Amino acid sequence: MMRKRMKLDTERITKSKLFWAIVAELLILLVCLIIRPDFFSISYQPSSGMLYGSLIDILNRSSEITIIAMGMMLVIATAGTDLSVGSLVAVSGALALRLMRWDLDLYPTPGDWSITPLYLVIAASLGACLLMGSFNGLLVSRWNMQPIIATLILMVAGRGIAQVITGGKQMTTMFSPFKFIAHGSFLYLPMPVIITAAVILVIYLSTRRTAFGLFIESVGVNRSASRVSGLNARRIIMTVYMISGFLAGISGLIYSSRIISNDSNNAGQGYEMDAILAVVIGGGNMAGGKFNIAGTVMGSLIIRTIITFVYYFGVAAEAIMVFKAMIIAVVIILQSEPIRRMLEKRSRMRRSIQGGALHE
Amino acid sequence: MSKPARTRNTLLNRLMNPKFIMVYATIVVFLLIYTIGALLYGDKGFTTLRTFLNLFIDNAYVGISAVGMTMVIITGGIDLSVGAVASLTGMFIAYGNTILGIDPFICIAFSILIGVALGLAMGAMIQYLKVPAFIATLTGMFFARGVCALISRESIAINHAAFNELAKWRIKIPDVKPLAYVNFNVLLFIVMILIGAYMLQATRFGRNVYAIGGNEQSASLMGLPVNRTKVLVYGFNGLCSVLAGVAYALYVKSGWNLSLQGAELDVISSAVIGGTLLTGGVGYMFGTLFGVLLKSVIPALITFNGTLLSWWAKIGTGVLLLLFIGIQRIVVSASARKKL
Repeated sequence: MMRKRMKLDTERITKSKLFWAIVAELLILLVCLIIRPDFFSISYQPSSGMLYGSLIDILNRSSEITIIAMGMMLVIATAGTDLSVGSLVAVSGALALRLMRWDLDLYPTPGDWSITPLYLVIAASLGACLLMGSFNGLLVSRWNMQPIIATLILMVAGRGIAQVITGGKQMTTMFSPFKFIAHGSFLYLPMPVIITAAVILVIYLSTRRTAFGLFIESVGVNRSASRVSGLNARRIIMTVYMISGFLAGISGLIYSSRIISNDSNNAGQGYEMDAILAVVIGGGNMAGGKFNIAGTVMGSLIIRTIITFVYYFGVAAEAIMVFKAMIIAVVIILQSEPIRRMLEKRSRMRRSIQGGALHE
Repeated sequence: MSKPARTRNTLLNRLMNPKFIMVYATIVVFLLIYTIGALLYGDKGFTTLRTFLNLFIDNAYVGISAVGMTMVIITGGIDLSVGAVASLTGMFIAYGNTILGIDPFICIAFSILIGVALGLAMGAMIQYLKVPAFIATLTGMFFARGVCALISRESIAINHAAFNELAKWRIKIPDVKPLAYVNFNVLLFIVMILIGAYMLQATRFGRNVYAIGGNEQSASLMGLPVNRTKVLVYGFNGLCSVLAGVAYALYVKSGWNLSLQGAELDVISSAVIGGTLLTGGVGYMFGTLFGVLLKSVIPALITFNGTLLSWWAKIGTGVLLLLFIGIQRIVVSASARKKL
């Protein structure tokens, strides 16, 4: 009896996507370690009060995508997609810089000052993104638009809005409280890592410690069935898109603080694809119905590790895209229904043979 | 009973068929915006034939790609790889000709081979492995962009006598001032639209495409070749993307790995504005033609205005998309109510 349960457990572990995501990440890290043994070394820099090292860097740099992927994960769990997040990153940064610098003609030199207090800057940027997220949510939940096309609207228009906000200018700032968002540190770790951890924790508590996560998954499995069984499917979908917009706003603030500037054309370029990729690697299904927080975080880390790997070892940076394409192709083919059914059939056959042996 | 059935078949009644509403909406909005432009900037030359034909010349590559995209969307799918494949075509031509010294037309043939193969591969992934079209074509996009960057990261100019000749070739429209003309890209665009319309409206293949988009399960139960048709549609779209890449290469006479970034959105929104339903089953090439024109008339208006900055075009496109999806929702829900 004891042995059987143990065996079942290992089977469950090897079947879970999180397991394979961790294996993939460890494999990439192992390759890094073999090529460069000091890859894992972490040093402490007393002047900034921060730890330094490639691993810390991976955590730090992955935070923008991880935060967005948290929202994307919930959206995908309701069988939706949010393509607008990359543009919202640009809007959030543009609004923040606009509020801090206000007018380049009036105040031409950047310095350690801001027209607007930091809390207002943050509130306005996040508020704007929340608003745009609820616009997406409205289109999807009320008007029953297809999520891809509903969020395509803001994806196209968002960068235009960002440029209208800044008048097409690129502004820089030296405002130290704002710089702290991406360059500061807390508990020896870079601020973005702390913010990301906080976001993950909040998402975990609000979805897995309450019934909200279950509601989201149930809407993703069958919207009308969950409505009939008493869930307010519309409100749930609306909330999910609002969360996604809000998190894109946070990510935008981190990004613009990292480059202490705004960049309406390039900020968040392609983030929607990376975030979707992270969710899919982490075991999310584009058809909706389930999400896996740890898996999504691993997915985002894998993407960042690949990029770090490519930069760190001087592999042609151009190869990133091909790498990504190959990894997604392998992951989605393994996840695809016919292949999974084939694998399942094999394991079921093995199990039935074992069962038959037991009956004898 | 048979009499009213026959009177219904007149040309007017056939044109009034509600399934064309979306196409009419596109045409009406296009005419509306064009008239506004004519009223505001008529004295600056907005109404000239040259401005009108420039809409075609500047957007032929979007239109060529939109032909394939329309077909993909009618089957209920989507293809995000079109911009990357078109860019890859440009790279093949530029690198093949300028660096390797291969005849550009051989490069084009090679691109067609690769583009169609990639399209078929994505189609097979979607159809046989049941991978969502969005993810499968996203992979294709990453792959094509990656190969682009592996070939070269610099912009390469194309300098080939016959290729330049083709790029310069144009039919002048007689007796019009200022000079107006149609070039090879515009002809290719129009020919592709006609081919697409013929395939959709007059062939068995086109019937199958609509049937699959309407309801894939029913189509397969009816014994239609669902798998083959869907894979072929993605292959055809690959061909369209390559031709769009050729048109773009003729237009800018160079290849660059980052060119046409986000072009897939232009193409998808042109098809959607042209009345193609993303849920599949509904769409016409004629609508797509006007979708491309409507999408391109906004930047033209902004250029004529002169004081508005170019990013308003993006916002304008977003508003247009919203408007048309809104109209689609109303039309679809109205016809659904009628059926009940």
